[in-house]
Amino acid sequence: MRGERWLCVLVCLALSGLARSQSAVPPRWSKPADWVPARWPWPDAASLDLVAAGPLNCLLLRPVTADFAAAAASRGLATLAVVVPSDDVLATVRRALSAKVTGIALEGDFPEDLAAAVRQLARAAPVVELAPRSRMLANSAGPVLATYQGVWPGMAETERLRAGPSGSVWIDTNTGFIRAARSWCDLPLWIANRPPAKTVVTTGRYLQAIADAGVSGARWVVALDDDFAARLARRDPKALADWSRMLSLAGYFERHPEWREMREYGKLALVQDPAKGGLLSGGILDMIAVKQTPVRPIPRQRLTPGSLKDASMAVNLDAASLTPEEQAVLHDFTRSGGTLLTGPPGWTDQAPAGDAITLDRSELERLNDIWREVNSMVGRRNLGVRLFNAASMLSNFLISSDGRTAVLNLVNYSDYPVENVSVHFLGDYKHAALLTPDGVDKPLELYKTDDGWGADIDKVNVCATVRLEQ
Amino acid sequence: MMTRREWIAAISAAPLLRAADAAPVAPVSIAKCASYDEDVTARLGLLFDQLGGLGSLVRGKTVTVKINMTGAPSIRLQGLAPAVTHYVHPKVVGGLAYHLGQAGARRIRFVESAWATSGPLEETMLDSGWNVRALQSAAAGVEFENTNALGKSKTYARFQVPGDAYMYPAYDLNRAFEDTDVFVSLAKLKNHATCGVTLSLKNCFGSLPASIYGDNAGVDEPNENPTAGRNAVGHQGRRQPSKSAPQELHFGANHDPGYRVPHIVADISASRPIHLAVIEGVESIAGGEGPWIQGVRTVKPGVLLAGLNPVCTDAVAAAVMGYNPRAARGAAPFQTCDNTLLLAEGHGVGAADLGRIDVRGVSIAQALYRYDS
Repeated sequence: MRGERWLCVLVCLALSGLARSQSAVPPRWSKPADWVPARWPWPDAASLDLVAAGPLNCLLLRPVTADFAAAAASRGLATLAVVVPSDDVLATVRRALSAKVTGIALEGDFPEDLAAAVRQLARAAPVVELAPRSRMLANSAGPVLATYQGVWPGMAETERLRAGPSGSVWIDTNTGFIRAARSWCDLPLWIANRPPAKTVVTTGRYLQAIADAGVSGARWVVALDDDFAARLARRDPKALADWSRMLSLAGYFERHPEWREMREYGKLALVQDPAKGGLLSGGILDMIAVKQTPVRPIPRQRLTPGSLKDASMAVNLDAASLTPEEQAVLHDFTRSGGTLLTGPPGWTDQAPAGDAITLDRSELERLNDIWREVNSMVGRRNLGVRLFNAASMLSNFLISSDGRTAVLNLVNYSDYPVENVSVHFLGDYKHAALLTPDGVDKPLELYKTDDGWGADIDKVNVCATVRLEQ
Repeated sequence: MMTRREWIAAISAAPLLRAADAAPVAPVSIAKCASYDEDVTARLGLLFDQLGGLGSLVRGKTVTVKINMTGAPSIRLQGLAPAVTHYVHPKVVGGLAYHLGQAGARRIRFVESAWATSGPLEETMLDSGWNVRALQSAAAGVEFENTNALGKSKTYARFQVPGDAYMYPAYDLNRAFEDTDVFVSLAKLKNHATCGVTLSLKNCFGSLPASIYGDNAGVDEPNENPTAGRNAVGHQGRRQPSKSAPQELHFGANHDPGYRVPHIVADISASRPIHLAVIEGVESIAGGEGPWIQGVRTVKPGVLLAGLNPVCTDAVAAAVMGYNPRAARGAAPFQTCDNTLLLAEGHGVGAADLGRIDVRGVSIAQALYRYDS
């Protein structure tokens, strides 16, 4: 709780005016990759006290006023004017630029020629395209890869209500999509979905949204429901405390930029065209993740012998679309002892249809053919890391380029803390530590297991990290 | 409303389905334990001391303990650990291992047919948040076996039902149930949607391997990778077990789970005798056996029971829960099922007659925690 309390103190100091600087401060960012974004619902400059402490440094505004943009700039904050397709786009962009915003955020499905006209009009001002998922990968020349489409993370409602002793838990998550997109493009990735409308959104669900993006190296564009925003605007103490927790968690991922540089690790590789199924949530990547199996997505276009290094199993989701060179890589993989699973004859990986970002029932049933095979192939093998007592959690296992450090990021999607989690790792690690957003950094005892090393974690609230060192 | 004293007197004198005098009886011990934060191991020690100790039963012997971990560990009631709701608590498991070890047990094997898997039982324990290493260090010679399939053995063991079997002439079980000198049922004090109560007898329904008795058991031979429960065979009688095992005697005659499961449990209790019944009711659930039963709620009876006869122990446990252990079908807790205790009594396993049972330690009246209140 230490970090969280400290942040809470800073927020309160800022709100009391004690920490308010009378003169402009230098930008709290040096390049768009540093931006930690939030949709800003308040037009008054006093609201900026809410971000005086914490990592948020880029505010998405709609509408924009010159006074507010100036006030934000004086605090070192970046501002992006949000423009939507139904606007008089070029006129809106001109007004925003004259209000001296830092950049433009195009949110929605813009024709490419119109987006190009905006970029031309903006000149040096960055233009972030919050695009539909189906189009976002085309924006890899921009400062940020971003989409407004996402599922609202958490335990699926159907699972919360499900009756029966079998109890496989499903978690709504954007992590599979984020990981697929990040395997394709090194740009910072934003996911700018909003909280579900007409729904009471608890603090826990906000924290899950931040962590769901953060564990996979992306940033959720913080967006508040109307009720929370109103309570925060009137400085309701409970809302302020919740806000502090959100800032603390967002700050946790910002304090560890090295995690974004690490590569995903797992002995299971998923070869997929990121422009197809990888753009969906609830696809095969998420199915494997829910089984607590580490899997690394490899865009088929980047399939090389090196990309399959350390893999012992691979799933090829779209065999028909592979080039002869790509097929040769997989052929060599199997000849050297790797296990390869391909879809049934005629099976093709499907891209999102229209605005859909999840699979419908028939598509899920179709995917089940593959899923059963994957499940059978993986079994109970340890493919890098195995988690126990973690049914409500997802994880992401990362390794440094020299292989000497690994981190396992954990997110708990239930409304309750998870206690007594056991983690079994492959590899020969000498030291382990548990890190949490509230400042805990404590050693974990490592013990020998059948296939590597194990560590036990007493409790995970929303998020925790195990750091392993050789 | 009756007072505790009146209620105990009433159920002790209940003429309904009077036990056969021939059915054996053995003492039952009760101890209070309000919380898992208490010294659970010491409370168990008291419980066993009140029975005369465990030494004569287990010294130099292999002891197999059937624990209760019903359902998938991922299914939680209000996010609570399964051990404080519908599973036995690992502190009780560890405490029992300690006392068995102290009493001279040579080998202590914990067994359960883990839900829908033939993987190591240790993995199900880890998935339930248990510290397996702590359990292993509770006593020398602790080991684990998932009895949902063959496990570490190469063949199944066959257990004949003595006398006239109700449902099957014999049951094929994992060899752990055969290769043991002493068999212990470590159960949870809770209700059961199909059987009224889940106590030491019903706990042993989970001895049936899903490889043979599961929904996706092989037709001819066992399926060594079962991934389902036992509804089709055990509860509903919609299919026979694998043909490698003895088949149901009157297949198709009855599809009522409230009839079938109690009769199967009674058969099992006769074919695989329980030497020691331990029932954990520190914290539990009422209204059903797991979170998948609508309306279940958490309860804190704060009680531990043990006895050398499972029917006697279950009778006392049922009374502690506020039920008449001799109640006929239609009366609580057997509103929609037959009374397993009386069926086991009919097999001569033990007497469910409170009037014949020597209750030691805390009295039933002092331990009473009404599950239906």
